[in-house]
Amino acid sequence: MIRAPLVKALGALSSPTHQIQIGSRAVRTTAVIAQQAPAKAPEKIEVFVDDIPVQVLPGTTVLQAAAQIGVEIPRFCYHERLAVAGNCRMCLVEVEKSPKPVAACAMPVMKGWRIKTNSDLTRKAREGVMEFLLMNHPLDCPICDQGGECDLQDQAMAFGSDRSRFTDINYTGKRAVEDKDIGPLVKTIMTRCIHCTRCVRFASEIAGVDDLGTTGRGNDMQIGTYVEKLFLTELSGNVIDLCPVGALTNKPYSFVARPWEIRKVSSIDVLDAVGSNIVVSTRTNEVLRILPRENEDVNEEWLADKSRFACDGLKRQRLVAPMVRMPNGELQAVEWEGALIAVAKALKKANGQVAGVSGQLADVESLVALKDLVNRLEGETLVTEQGFIKGAGSDVRANYLLNSTIAGLEEADAVLLVGTNPRYEAPLVNTRLRKAYVHNELQIASIGPKIDLSYQHENLGADASLIKDVCSGTHAFSKVLEGAKKPAIIIGADLLERPDGAAIHATILDYCQKLKKKDWNPFNVLQNNAAQVGALDVGYQAGVEAVIKAQPKVLFLLNADAGKLTREQLPKDCFIVYIGSHGDNGASIADAVLPGAAYTEKQAIYVNTEGRPQQTLTAVSPPGMAREDWKILRAISEVVSTPLPYDTLDELRSRLEDLGPHLTRLGELEPASLSEAGSQATISKSINGGPIDVKQKELRDYFMTDAVSRASPTMAKCISAVNKQQRQNEQAKQSVAI
Amino acid sequence: MAKFLGINRLAKLFQIIRESGGLKQTYLKLYRNDDLKIGTLVGIDKYGNKYFENPYYFYGRNRWIEFAPHVNMDYDGSQIPADWYGWMHYKTDLPPIRDGSRPKYKWLADHSENLSGTKEAYMPYSTTPPKVEAWDPKAKK
Repeated sequence: MIRAPLVKALGALSSPTHQIQIGSRAVRTTAVIAQQAPAKAPEKIEVFVDDIPVQVLPGTTVLQAAAQIGVEIPRFCYHERLAVAGNCRMCLVEVEKSPKPVAACAMPVMKGWRIKTNSDLTRKAREGVMEFLLMNHPLDCPICDQGGECDLQDQAMAFGSDRSRFTDINYTGKRAVEDKDIGPLVKTIMTRCIHCTRCVRFASEIAGVDDLGTTGRGNDMQIGTYVEKLFLTELSGNVIDLCPVGALTNKPYSFVARPWEIRKVSSIDVLDAVGSNIVVSTRTNEVLRILPRENEDVNEEWLADKSRFACDGLKRQRLVAPMVRMPNGELQAVEWEGALIAVAKALKKANGQVAGVSGQLADVESLVALKDLVNRLEGETLVTEQGFIKGAGSDVRANYLLNSTIAGLEEADAVLLVGTNPRYEAPLVNTRLRKAYVHNELQIASIGPKIDLSYQHENLGADASLIKDVCSGTHAFSKVLEGAKKPAIIIGADLLERPDGAAIHATILDYCQKLKKKDWNPFNVLQNNAAQVGALDVGYQAGVEAVIKAQPKVLFLLNADAGKLTREQLPKDCFIVYIGSHGDNGASIADAVLPGAAYTEKQAIYVNTEGRPQQTLTAVSPPGMAREDWKILRAISEVVSTPLPYDTLDELRSRLEDLGPHLTRLGELEPASLSEAGSQATISKSINGGPIDVKQKELRDYFMTDAVSRASPTMAKCISAVNKQQRQNEQAKQSVAI
Repeated sequence: MAKFLGINRLAKLFQIIRESGGLKQTYLKLYRNDDLKIGTLVGIDKYGNKYFENPYYFYGRNRWIEFAPHVNMDYDGSQIPADWYGWMHYKTDLPPIRDGSRPKYKWLADHSENLSGTKEAYMPYSTTPPKVEAWDPKAKK
């Protein structure tokens, strides 16, 4: 009951990952008491919750005070990350000498209050509220998707009356509300709504779209979009988790499974560079849905729509058997043995002219295995598909990381976005920026095309020469950055692919040396895929130009599906080996296709854009004859008789540790100091002007960015829904004009 | 006396051997049918199966079939066509060749034996989609 919020409110009592924080907090408190607080901490006041004394800061609500000693007060509308609404009345508790019970979520405690969370009055109040809620709530738990994970169900059992007084003898019926169509992701059954307004608050506070609202009052109150409209944001799936009842449910998952039937595996999302923590729900070796897992440092408790809903792409367009291109030019499914021998023959003929390209979804283990294999075959060229600055820029870690860290951006007070659209490239970084904008008076400016970031920002223009203006201190926004306590400049990864990317990088890096503060690194590169940081960490070069220059005889494509490399750019006799999970751009140009595992099917490490290594866990087994990617590379090395020196994942991980000790410290952030990040003096800092563009400008560009989401039917539906909405908007505009 | 010594049975055996057409034929018949009987040939159906009757044997064994020679050992009860089925199972005493009242419509389907275990056996196909759809390299987007 009230599972997640309580854990959160308690800080860490039940979660081992937060132990360290608890420790530090305890130390801090004792230190304050011991030194009599030189910084003049506000004096704590004492209240009594069920006769247990609690010391709390002034302004603490009754509910928070109770949570401090582990007393959970039932609630529907209250949520830690949203504004207090106080409209469900479920959290009513008795306070001694108060004539009426008070709403615990909204009432700040006063000195010496005696709060009774389990008195007769409190229990009666809860029972009454529950009775009112249930009077107009349909009795369709057996066919409700929320059944089994429903707050109303749980709290009705715990706090409701044991019998009903609801006798609809005249069959007048309960209150019924028409369902709304708010898009292909969220299903609405509005009759079930208990008007907690969590979804409304989420949309306006976190997502930054004021699409949802309430109309009417009392019994006639309705949640809706006012006019018929789709609720289209990149974060819409989170209202499903927030909804305490089954009014908003997961549309692709509707009527699929019950919570007690599914197995849950904690994993990591790899469809963007944030590395959101997720829970993969599976049943009978099938991924059914993906939910966010709480991690304060990465995704809080939110999850972007692509990460949540693209999981049906894991079941389509899959490579289930090895394939080899026959003399007639067609790919034919073969046994593993035949495929491996075909690859080995090509490798023998190549005579060291071997290269590797890694793509968006490659994990660190297989990156290392591919690197070792290619090096053993005397190949040198190992690159990532995603470009970065030319030259030795990726030697220093701070050059390509989001150094301010995702959680750190919340504290920033001036941010400059250069050639990036965090709203779609990393939606959960954008929520941090929005949070800082709302609570921290963050000033944001962007250089690039005019885009909607869900909060107000100043668009300085799209011309690249503006970067020089800002960094030389002549631009008006330079004053803002220089005057800020925690300034940050975020560069989009795609921008650095430009010919003058190195100059832009060096210019901003030099400026950041000036801006940096103690314990604050203002230089940020926002990567747009989950594999990039890991690949650069283990020593891959960025950009496919090196491969085109090298003209290899055998080319390994490790999950490389972005289509940046075409057949024409390679020599005619080049043998392309694709290792990956989906049939996409990479597999269609390959001569040998070796089926790999997707991110839900392997235990693998990914490094997110701030440089935090995290691992996915195996939720289901790879389909058909597909195998984990590093095992395929290990098998190839055996066939070409240069076996790689690791047989198990543990041995491979210790090899990883040799390459980069931070790679196996899962979940921990290894800060890269800015002072190491020397800009190369040799690089000419001439920025050639020319407009800066971003790839993902609108919501429709967001949904399909990688092999998994391109294969997902749900994502296709989202794109057509966005297009439909836009057509309707244009028609409406035209009719107004007429 | 002869009955007591079982000589009449010996005579019957010789009769069967004679009617079967020699020792070798008798052996083959015994090998194929696991039985040796004599009786009157009641009729032959269009598939070449021969139907016999001999009230000397008790009820239930007094009507039998010798399947057409071309099926060899691969005979089975479902090779008896529908019109002879009734006579074989004592639903009627009139075999189809002597029963003129049976309707003969031209739309009546030809008899077919049970095809289980053969290539032509009926195999229902799955209508549920596969859990994982494989990539087809030939399908162009």
